Amino acid sequence: MTENNNSRQDARDAGDRLVADHASEDPFAAAFKATRMPMLITDPRQADNPIIFCNAAFCKLTGYSNEELIGKNCRLLQGPETDPDAVSRLREAIAAEKDLAIDILNYRKDGSPFWNALFVSPVRDISGTVIYFFASQLDFTNIKSKEAELARARHLAEEEVGMRTADLTDALRAKTTLVHEVDHRVKNNLLTIASIVKLQARMTENDIVKRTLTSVLNRVEALSTVQRKLLNDEEVGQFDVADFANTLMIDKIGALKRSDIHLTTDLHAVVVPATKASPLALIINELVGDAIRRGLSDGGGEIHLEIRRLNGHFLIRVVDTVTPVDVDKEEAAFSQAMLEACLKQLRAKIDRVVKGHRTDVTVTLSVKD
Amino acid sequence: MNILIVEDEVLLAMELESEVEGAGHLVVGTATDSREAIEIIDATSPQFAFVDIQLLDGPTGIDVGRYLSAKAIPFVFVSGNLKRIPDDFAGALGAIEKPYTVNGLQNALQFLQIIIDGGHGSQVAPPSLVLSPAARATVAA
Repeated sequence: MTENNNSRQDARDAGDRLVADHASEDPFAAAFKATRMPMLITDPRQADNPIIFCNAAFCKLTGYSNEELIGKNCRLLQGPETDPDAVSRLREAIAAEKDLAIDILNYRKDGSPFWNALFVSPVRDISGTVIYFFASQLDFTNIKSKEAELARARHLAEEEVGMRTADLTDALRAKTTLVHEVDHRVKNNLLTIASIVKLQARMTENDIVKRTLTSVLNRVEALSTVQRKLLNDEEVGQFDVADFANTLMIDKIGALKRSDIHLTTDLHAVVVPATKASPLALIINELVGDAIRRGLSDGGGEIHLEIRRLNGHFLIRVVDTVTPVDVDKEEAAFSQAMLEACLKQLRAKIDRVVKGHRTDVTVTLSVKD
Repeated sequence: MNILIVEDEVLLAMELESEVEGAGHLVVGTATDSREAIEIIDATSPQFAFVDIQLLDGPTGIDVGRYLSAKAIPFVFVSGNLKRIPDDFAGALGAIEKPYTVNGLQNALQFLQIIIDGGHGSQVAPPSLVLSPAARATVAA
């Protein structure tokens, strides 16, 4: 007790001496005392580096009186939630006699915490010996709590975004599964329709029935080929006409089994919306089919299919040089009706030029429509 | 060749059978689920198989494919959704996409026969047949 009193007396004496060195009208001392910034001075040459001087702003901040503070080490401001790392850094800076600016949680006399932006700096005499430590404090609890509030708000927002993203991902997955399921059913149904027609064509002994069913099958298969091409690409809803035409022609060449009929192509990528796929496919199917029908005589011949863009239009051209044979009138009329319906649907124009054995059919339509 | 057809739609299986037999092959059995398929494989040791992926007991065509592959029986998948096929094609030579056309199927069959007979060279697969990476490498060799 006595010893404690002695050391506090020493600290007070040191403070008095410090002040005595300055005339009472010293503006620096007056400023130190009067400033609204909490400040203090400690004496490292005394045991436990006690506070020897502090200003009114510091007393106001901490709730301690000047009496209670003089002779105490600054650690009396520390409390249960004070970060031990911050305390170590402070201790190391003082031991190393270096400046330090650090944010530290401190406690008032009544136990309430505040965030302290602390600055500590050694004061040296002419010989370079550290004779004091100067410390200033700044209560930034308000800023700190706003930071925490912002962080909390951001965290909540992030959680919300995460939840919505998960919901959307689930919804997208469900929708994709549904699209694939529907696509699968459409494909199976088309193949089932084709199978029913084929089955009946196989069973009938009537040539006319057989021919009629084969004619139906031909169109169903053109639509089947379209359906295969629709959902396979990255760009769902787009239809590559050239790709379709290539597959169609290879199918037809295989079906002909006629080395004297040559099918050739000149195909350039033309992509159209999926809604136009079916009528376009049927148009190409009818044009090529018509040329093949007319050319099925012994003479053979050449059939050429061309697909390209031309001056903002889309062009389908079938040129054949065949020795014409009489075609089934009904079949030809049906094909013509199919062709006209599809042309009307696409608002396409058709131009047919016949010169001798050469037939040149051109279909043009606007790509934008 | 002795051929197995694994397909849950009976009408489609019937028509495929007619096509395959029309091309001069013998269909040794048709199965609508994986259990039936494996029974027929064990009982008849087919030389080739067409395997749909979605069967009566679920998407078990892949399992049937792996079973065939383990027995070194060549086969192709026949499916409306080729995206369901694993990257290694479960050992399949390739896949025929539904809805196939009569000519597309015949072209595919003809090409498959060439591969099975060990022929290759300047052969290009028809658009109706998607070759597996392994089969592509064999054909290109």
